[in-house]
Amino acid sequence: MSAAADVPEEAFAAALAGLERMSLTRLRALLRHASSPSAAVRCIAGEHAPPAEIAAILATDGLASAWRRSLARRPPEQVWGECLAAGIDVVVLGRAGYPPLLADDPSPPPVLFVRGGLQRLGGRRAGIVGTRNATGVGRDIASALGRDLAEAGVSVVSGLARGIDGCAHRGAVSVQGGGPPIGVVATGLDTVYPAEHRMLWDTVAERGALLSESPPGTGPEAWRFPLRNRVLAALSEVVVVVESRITGGSLITAAEARERDIPVLVVPGSPRNLSAAGSNELARDGCAIATGVEDVLIALGLNTGRARPVADDPRPRPEGIDRDTLALCAEPRTLDQVMLATRRTLVECAMSLTRLQDSGWLRQVNGWYERAPAHDWRR
Amino acid sequence: MFAAVVSATLLGVEGHLVTVEVHVSNGLPGFSIVGLPDEVCREARDRVRAAIVSSGLSFPRTRVTVNLAPSSQRKIGGGLDLAIAIAVLVADEQIPADRVGEFGFVGELGLGGSLRAVAGTVPLVAALGDVRPVVPAASVREAQVIARQPVHAGYTLRDVVDALTGDSPWPTPPADTVDPDPTPVADLADVRGQALARRGLEVAAAGGHHVLFVGPPGSGKTMLAQRMPGLLPALAAEVSLAATMIHSAAGVRLPASGLVSLPPYRAPHHTTSIVALVGGGTSALRPGEISLAHGGVLFLDELGEFSPSALDGLRQPLEEGVVRVSRARASATLPASFLLVAATNPCPCGGGPPGSCTCDDGGRARYLRRLSGPLLDRFDLRITVHRPEVDELLLDGPGECSADVAARVAAARTLALERSGMLNAALPASVLDDVAPLDGRAKKLLRTELERDRLTGRGYHRVRRVARTLADLYGSGPIVGEEHVVAALQFRVRLNPMTRGRAA
Repeated sequence: MSAAADVPEEAFAAALAGLERMSLTRLRALLRHASSPSAAVRCIAGEHAPPAEIAAILATDGLASAWRRSLARRPPEQVWGECLAAGIDVVVLGRAGYPPLLADDPSPPPVLFVRGGLQRLGGRRAGIVGTRNATGVGRDIASALGRDLAEAGVSVVSGLARGIDGCAHRGAVSVQGGGPPIGVVATGLDTVYPAEHRMLWDTVAERGALLSESPPGTGPEAWRFPLRNRVLAALSEVVVVVESRITGGSLITAAEARERDIPVLVVPGSPRNLSAAGSNELARDGCAIATGVEDVLIALGLNTGRARPVADDPRPRPEGIDRDTLALCAEPRTLDQVMLATRRTLVECAMSLTRLQDSGWLRQVNGWYERAPAHDWRR
Repeated sequence: MFAAVVSATLLGVEGHLVTVEVHVSNGLPGFSIVGLPDEVCREARDRVRAAIVSSGLSFPRTRVTVNLAPSSQRKIGGGLDLAIAIAVLVADEQIPADRVGEFGFVGELGLGGSLRAVAGTVPLVAALGDVRPVVPAASVREAQVIARQPVHAGYTLRDVVDALTGDSPWPTPPADTVDPDPTPVADLADVRGQALARRGLEVAAAGGHHVLFVGPPGSGKTMLAQRMPGLLPALAAEVSLAATMIHSAAGVRLPASGLVSLPPYRAPHHTTSIVALVGGGTSALRPGEISLAHGGVLFLDELGEFSPSALDGLRQPLEEGVVRVSRARASATLPASFLLVAATNPCPCGGGPPGSCTCDDGGRARYLRRLSGPLLDRFDLRITVHRPEVDELLLDGPGECSADVAARVAAARTLALERSGMLNAALPASVLDDVAPLDGRAKKLLRTELERDRLTGRGYHRVRRVARTLADLYGSGPIVGEEHVVAALQFRVRLNPMTRGRAA
């Protein structure tokens, strides 16, 4: 295998990252013990006697031949071409351009694929993570947090998944000229997952930075997501968990953050909300509580010294029966439950709920009525 | 010798008159049946020969030819056995020819000469016309439902032959067996809580609106659906007769009175094939579940699990109230006018309060996509059913009983029929302004819903029809008020929370 003159070392690193059966440890060892990524590739190709450490890896059952096949199928020039075509930069641990922020991490990504500008990692950064199956309230909180942090000039770091992650970034990019958004994803940067987030990906890359450890063309593979969470935690100065299930990946992010002594904040949820069971568990374990952007700013040491002025709630105050109904709907309720609790007729309750919906206090999803935030109110 | 007697065969739910002609001539002994018999009918040869011999009569030792006329019509099943046997005996001069002219024969023979009931006695006897039907004793009740002449019954072939020759009188049919009341109709009072869903059932029954229940497993969707027939009025005379014909043709056991007078309830499993659901199949064009539900309720549980083709097959009958089944050799129009009650989970995991769903968006969207489209459009009422909480089960007293609700339903139906000659669900959009005028506040409410994209144009008309029914039920005169529209809007749940879809 001969290296074309116009292919930089990064291309070889990118190709190594995309090899079949490549793992984080193996990639790190290859890059550490070979004199350069291209030398590592030559070792694999057998054109070059490998140092003892690499020889030990290559001796693993069938690995050397698998890697050779992989390299032949997708040589560095091709991977590099794909990166160039998709506007993806490659930075390699220990080489120029690698962000110092990650270089000091206990488990730094050996190779990083980047869209957007790495210099934008330099600001204050807060991670917002949570479940993909979030409640309406959780989504609102995530997007309000994202928006308020961006307004305060803080970068929102998140995973661009469905649910909380997506909402946080949507909130962040809704602010023009706010803190640059930072996305950390598990798929290749040219493989948008979930597909409906394409616009969001592009906006994040354009205004901030989009990072991945996976080379172009990598689809959603389950084992890559926990690793992504580690990079996400490493990039955050504080991590806010909005809603997480008891089995949620956000708990991995929180654990990674705590390993790095990065403060983890939790937005408390109703004990009846299964989507918040995991985050409530974090609160029980002693994570600090966040009920608004101020808590996050204080954790970042950004004491603004002034509370945000509380905007006048533009919604008309509910009166009479509507006040009772609204108080009841502090937790999601069905029409049947409202009828039972207020002992009023179906029509009375339905009219009250409709009025509260019209005035923006409540919204209805699948027959459940839940409180709507003030900013959702239109007309 | 030649003889002809009258019988009938079944196609779909209609009987067709068949003349059984028998010719006995010299030649090598043989027995052949011509005139398009199906496999079962062809096998009559063996049954008839054995039955005649077992009855102590003699089977002609010459050439016997049976012709079933009209020869172009397919003859189905064993119902012609008795007629063939009688015709053979007449042709063989064991029964005088002048004795059989005023009778029509329907029934299957056993090898020992016994007479067995066949499916479709009601339509078969109807097809016989003005002759006196002779049927197996077990079918007398069914035959009497429709017969214009006195019905004669026999337990065996010998009974019939003896009565025809005048050797003994017609046997008396069995005394009325009182059916143990099949299944007591489920009462609405058993349902705790679920005020919205109960009201939904009432509205559906009063306006003829199809209902879709959306809710997690264990929320009582099936229990609610089973209570629907109890809210519907008894069948009108002609519907009752049609339903009786259908049930008889399908071989479904008829109630003790012989007439299907209460609204039937059919709940086919979701693995049911399109043929079993819609009808057709064999050349008999057997009525399907939707026809068996004629005049009553068709309950499809787990709607999304039915095969898409089966659900598509429902669309035309839902539109026209009949199903036209055509096969290469025959076609039939079967009545299929029913109230559709369906149930589905909101997502694969069953859902529940916000935040409890564990499905991902993709899975949820795929699940709902199976329901989407034209079929979902037929449901005027889409009602969310929740798993009742402990409080609801304990605190809420027993609800209204079916009889009280049914009385309101009957009154509302009468009102609707007198006003426009149809149930509210069938009202064309063009007449809504005349028959369901909205008051000022109701108009304003609907305008808001439309402006906020919570209602589509089609949904708008559906809400107005449902509001009309509510106004009929809770008598407020010709004008539809805000309270009715508000309640009607409660019956249009949005199915997908994530895409913020419109209430179509």
